[in-house]
Amino acid sequence: MDNKKNSLTVKDCINIGVFAALYIVIFFVTSFIGYIPIMMAILGVACAVTCGIPLMLFFSKSHVFGMVSIMGAIMGIFMILMGRPWYCIFVALAAGVAADCVLKNGNYKSINKAVIASGVFSLWMMGMEVPLYFGARDTFIESIKEGYGEAYAEVIVKITPNWMFYATIVLTFVGGILGGLLGKAVLKKHFKKAGMA
Amino acid sequence: MDVSIQTFKTSGERALLDPRTSIFAIVVIGVVMVGGSLTGIEYVLRVISCMIPAALLYAVKKYKVATIYFLIMLFIMIIEGTAVQSTVGALNLLFVILSGVVSRFIPQFMMGYCFMCYTKVSEFVVSMERMHVPSVITIPLSVMFRFFPTIAEENRCVIEAMKMRRTGTKKPSLLQKMEYELVPVMMQTVRISDELSQAAMTKGMGLNRKRSHICKVGFRAIDYLMLILLGTILVLFIIY
Repeated sequence: MDNKKNSLTVKDCINIGVFAALYIVIFFVTSFIGYIPIMMAILGVACAVTCGIPLMLFFSKSHVFGMVSIMGAIMGIFMILMGRPWYCIFVALAAGVAADCVLKNGNYKSINKAVIASGVFSLWMMGMEVPLYFGARDTFIESIKEGYGEAYAEVIVKITPNWMFYATIVLTFVGGILGGLLGKAVLKKHFKKAGMA
Repeated sequence: MDVSIQTFKTSGERALLDPRTSIFAIVVIGVVMVGGSLTGIEYVLRVISCMIPAALLYAVKKYKVATIYFLIMLFIMIIEGTAVQSTVGALNLLFVILSGVVSRFIPQFMMGYCFMCYTKVSEFVVSMERMHVPSVITIPLSVMFRFFPTIAEENRCVIEAMKMRRTGTKKPSLLQKMEYELVPVMMQTVRISDELSQAAMTKGMGLNRKRSHICKVGFRAIDYLMLILLGTILVLFIIY
């Protein structure tokens, strides 16, 4: 038990699993609005805001490098199981490691760093949006046309010009920070009192 | 309170399919259902792959769920085969969205549900070990899948408690509703995760030690059949 502070334990693994489940449930409840074509572009933002709350609680539980990275990897694995393209997992892993670095910078204590980390972590959702832009765009639009019909594809094309990708990154990041602030408020209001965070 | 949905059965016979086959099935069905088009051979592949979970559910004797799922998918597939092709404009968009919500999300969920129905946590962990997945990934994953029904149950309890104290009658705003339901569920989450880790500690679970097990895991004839079927679907899907 001596090195509890600087290495992963089973307890940490269980914490990751439990919070990943909570995160994914909230993510899916929010992402059902993504099926309306207009909403597809801002889907990341909405998800980032609502998911910030459990994420902040999770950050308050993490005390060692690796926990947030593993969380990111699990998000990636789950996305692949849902039939998303394979590079999702690398984007998610990268976002997790980056968020971990930010937290590490604050020594896993600073709540302001955690808010920023929440913004960084939310970027794992970008993996799902990559096929909409850049080189893969034409094939993706083509597959949408075949799969969802012309009308749907047209709306998608209309609302996603190429610059929208960068805008979505920024928006998701901002959404993550908003979610982080929301989570911070919830933590302060409910969990500090109960001594749980 | 009984749990209506249960992930990872706790005891009983050996799993119908090897966990590795099941995971492959989830991935293949996901790829075909999310990305497939509604015409030509890809449509046939979609029909086949969305019926795999139904067949498996029948095989594990979940007749009610299987029948409901089968009928819904049949209906959706017929809509996709006929109505979507023959309409244009706004009506087409409506049909596409309606059928798409079901056909692009539900089959993977059902396959995952099947997988949980006949697999034990132990079997899952062992097969992940065989694939050389590190235990820092395996343990969170198995906890996560086991935890989904718990969240649903906790949420139901919270809503019931709110009804009992008549806090739900005032029609709270969306943000308030989120706070009222999410915060207690999160509290429970923290508590359950503490309890789980104590349970794991008493069972002597460690990250660096090799786990011993008595369950049998390995490929059998039915696994090979399933793998060939899935492989064919995937290859055909990629070629066309």
